[in-house]
Amino acid sequence: MPITYYKLSNGLRVILSPDSTAPTVVTAVYYRIGFRVEPKDRTGFAHLFEHMMFQGSQNLGKMEFIRLVQENGGILNGSTRFDFTNYFELLPSNKLETALWAEADRMKGLAITEENLKNQQGVVGNEVKVNVLNQPYGGFPWLWMPQYANSNWYNSHNFYGDLKDIEAAKLDEVQAFFKTYYAPNNAALAVVGDFDPEQAKAMIAKYFSAIPSAKLPPTPDLTEPRQDKEKTATRKDPLANRPALAFAYHMPPRKSPEYYAMGLLDQMLLQGNDSLLYQELVKKRGFTGDVSGGINSDLGDMFDYDGPMLWTVSLFHDAGVKPEQILSVVDTVIDGLQARPVDQSLLDRSITKMRSSLYDSIAQFGGFGRANLMACFALFDDDPARINSLEADFRKVTPQVVEHTAREYLRRTARTVLLIEPGAPSPAAGESPK
Amino acid sequence: MLFAVASDMFGGPKETPPQGPPPKPFKLPAPEDFTLPNGMQVTIVPYGTVPKVAVRAFVQAGGIDEAAGQVWLSRLTASLMKEGTTTRSGEQVAREAAEMGGQLEVEAGSDYTSAGGVVLSDFAPQFIALLADVLANPALPGSEISRLKTDLVRELAIDHTEPQALARERFLKTLFPDHPYGRVFPAESDLQGYTIAGAQGFYRKNFAAGRTHLYVAGKLEGDLRHAIQDAFSGWAQGNPAPDLPAIPVKARSLQVIDRPGAAQSNLYMGLPVVEPAGQDYIALGVMDALLGGSFASRITSNIREQKGYTYSPNSQVSTRRRLAFWVQVADVTTAVTGPSLKEIFYEIDRLRKEPPSVPELAGIQNYLAGLFVLRNTVSPDAIIGQLHFVDSQGLDRSYLSTYVQKVMAIQPADIQRIAETYITPSKMTIVVVGDQAKISEELAPYR
Repeated sequence: MPITYYKLSNGLRVILSPDSTAPTVVTAVYYRIGFRVEPKDRTGFAHLFEHMMFQGSQNLGKMEFIRLVQENGGILNGSTRFDFTNYFELLPSNKLETALWAEADRMKGLAITEENLKNQQGVVGNEVKVNVLNQPYGGFPWLWMPQYANSNWYNSHNFYGDLKDIEAAKLDEVQAFFKTYYAPNNAALAVVGDFDPEQAKAMIAKYFSAIPSAKLPPTPDLTEPRQDKEKTATRKDPLANRPALAFAYHMPPRKSPEYYAMGLLDQMLLQGNDSLLYQELVKKRGFTGDVSGGINSDLGDMFDYDGPMLWTVSLFHDAGVKPEQILSVVDTVIDGLQARPVDQSLLDRSITKMRSSLYDSIAQFGGFGRANLMACFALFDDDPARINSLEADFRKVTPQVVEHTAREYLRRTARTVLLIEPGAPSPAAGESPK
Repeated sequence: MLFAVASDMFGGPKETPPQGPPPKPFKLPAPEDFTLPNGMQVTIVPYGTVPKVAVRAFVQAGGIDEAAGQVWLSRLTASLMKEGTTTRSGEQVAREAAEMGGQLEVEAGSDYTSAGGVVLSDFAPQFIALLADVLANPALPGSEISRLKTDLVRELAIDHTEPQALARERFLKTLFPDHPYGRVFPAESDLQGYTIAGAQGFYRKNFAAGRTHLYVAGKLEGDLRHAIQDAFSGWAQGNPAPDLPAIPVKARSLQVIDRPGAAQSNLYMGLPVVEPAGQDYIALGVMDALLGGSFASRITSNIREQKGYTYSPNSQVSTRRRLAFWVQVADVTTAVTGPSLKEIFYEIDRLRKEPPSVPELAGIQNYLAGLFVLRNTVSPDAIIGQLHFVDSQGLDRSYLSTYVQKVMAIQPADIQRIAETYITPSKMTIVVVGDQAKISEELAPYR
C-alpha cells in the first residue's frame, strides 16, 4: 500500500495513503489519549470529552460540525479506546479540504458552554444506561473483565464511568483536558482514499501548521504485574436469566515474537467455526451456542492499543452446565497446545485466517480500517508502514514459538475467570470491582 | 457563557468552510447477470483491489414460510445446514472455508435465508463449490438437533431479557397479527417439539435453485461464471415461492410492557408506509432522513442534542417483501418518557404542517447523494445488499442509476406532503417498555 509519512513542525504526524477505487476519502484525526489515562476522580472523562469535541469550535457552533459533514454527503463519528480517541469523516473525495478545515478548527480549540456540557452529560448518561445499566449482560465481558483481570488503576477502572463522576465533570476540567492532550504533537492525521497527495500536503500545511504544540505530561506507569494466581470473580446480574462465563489471559508485549504467536493462537483457538474451542465447547459438548472474543475484543483489535491488554473469551450457558465443566474442557485444549509444537497444518490455517482478516481490516468501511491502523502505528511506533510488514511478522512464527507462548501466556495461574449469575446482588457481597 | 478553551487564538469574523472542487463522476459498479437452466439467478460484480470476494446466495425461504407453530423452524434448518453435507462433515465444511480465509454462514431472515461468506479471491471457485454442496446436498443430521434446539431455547430466553427486542416483538405482532412477519419469537414449548423430520421437510419444501439468487462481488480471479455453472447446475429447480402478501395494521394504539425498576423507557413507534415500488418511496426516504433518520435530523437534534433525553434515537424505513413501515426508536431516561413522546410528536406535527426550508432540504439531499456512493462502494457486501434490495423488491435496476437524480428533484412541499400522507400520528402503534408504575401517568395522553 502506498504510504507517505511526515511530521509538521508542530509535531503533527501525517499519513497519506491514496486509493482511487471509489471517489471517496477518509479523514481521521487520532489523539493519543484514551480512557486508560484519565483523571482518577473522573471515571469516564475521556469519553465524555470525546462528546464535547462535537459541541462547537471557533468557526463551527453546536451541531454545525455534524451538519457540515452531512450536507456535504458524508458520515462522521468518534470513539474513545484504551490508548487513543479518534474522530473521522468519510466524504465524497472532492470534500477533503472541507474535512481538513473542520478538523483543524476543533484542534485549535473548543468554544463550548455550561449548557453544552450539561446536555452531553445527559446524553452520555443515557449511553451508559442503554449499553450497561439497563441491558442484561451489559458490561459483559468488555467493560467488566479488565476491572477484574488487571490490578493497575489505569487498566482496571470503570472507563465508561460512574454516573456520579460523569455528572460531576466541570467545564474547567474540559478545558484542562483539552490543553493537556489535544495538541498537534499528540496527534496523527490520516487521509485515505481518492486524492492527490501533493494537493493534500498543501492543504494540511495551510490548516494545521499554525496550531501550536504543547508540552505533554509524562505517561504514568501503566505496567501490570505478572499474574501468578488464577482469579475468579462472580457478578450477579438482576436483568439476566442465563449464566455466562468469560476468561482472560494477559497479552505478551507488543511486537514480540510471542505477541504475533498470540495473534495466531487466537485464530486457532477462537476465531471461526473451525477453531478448537468452538469445536470442543459448541459442537462436541454442546455447552453453548457460540464462543466469542479475541484480543482487545469489542474495543478494537490486536493492533490498535499500546499498553497491557487481554485476550478474552466469553460464552452463555445453561444452569445445568457448571463453570468447572467448561473450564476443564478449556484446560484440556490449552494443555494440548502447551505439551507439544502445534501441527504445521493448524498453524498454516491460522496464518491464512489472519491474512484474510488483515485484508478485511484494511478495506473496512471505505478505507477507514486502513486509516485506523496507520494512525495507530504512527502514534505508537512512529512507523505507519508497519501495516505493510504485518503479514511477514506472522509468517515468522514457528510451532516452537507457539508452544512456548502457550506455556507462558496461557498459564492457568495467569487466568481470570468472570462468572455472571442471574439474580439480584446481595448487599453484603462486595462484588463491585475496585 | 461562552467558554473558549484557547481564546487567544480566536477573534475576528467566522471563517466559512472551504467547498472544494465539483464532485468526481461516480459510476456504479457494473454487474453481469445470467440465469442457469435450473432457474437460479446469478449476479457477478467485479469491484475493488483488495483480494477478497463476497459470495452470497439468497434463497426465498425464511420466517414467511413458517406456519403458526413453526416459528424459528427456518433458523433451526439454517443451523442444521452448517452441520455437513452428504459427503462432508460439519467440521470439514468449517475447516475448508477457513482454509480459504472465510467462514460459511447460513442465516434465516423473514423473507430470505442467506448463505455464503467472504474469502480470499484465489479460492472463490472452491468456495462456490462448497456453498453449492451445502445448499443442494445438506446432510441435516438428526444427531445434532437436540444440541441446536438447546442453543435456540437459550437464545430465546436471553432475547426475552432485552428490552429493545421485547419492544420490537410487540410492535411487529401488532402490525402483523395474522402473518408470519408478526411472529418474532416462538413459544418455548413449540421450539422443544421441533423434530429432524420437520426441519428436513422445511428444507425440501423451500430450498431450491428456482428460489435462489447468487451474488458474487469483489476482486474476481479466474472464470467464476463456469465455476458457478459447474457447482450449481445439478441443483433441482423446485417450485416457485408461494406469495403470502401481508396487510399491516394501521391503527393507533399504545402498549406498555412493564419492566419494574428500568432506568430507561424503550420507545418503538411507527406505522405502515408506501412500499418500495411505490411512487413516493424515494421521497419518503428523504423525509425520514430529515425527520429522524440522520445525526443532524430534527428529532435527534431535539431529544438528544438539545434535551439530552437519550443517546440513541433513530428513525428508519424498514422493508419486507413489497411493503414498508416507518419506525422511530429511542431509549430515554425513565423520568422523561412523556416529554420524549411529546417532542417526537411535536417534530412530526411540525413537518406535517410546514415544508422544510430549501437549505435544510438541500443538506439532506446532498447527504443522501453522498451516502448513495458509500452504500455502493464501501464493501463487496454493501454492493450485494443494494442489488439484493432492488431485485427482491421487484424494482428495475434503473432504481439505482436514477436514485440520486430523483432525490435531488424533490421539493420542500413534497416533504410536507409525504409527512402528512404517511406519518399519521392517529394511525401509529406506540410500544413502550419501561417501569409502568413510574410512567403510566405521563403516557395517559397518548392512549
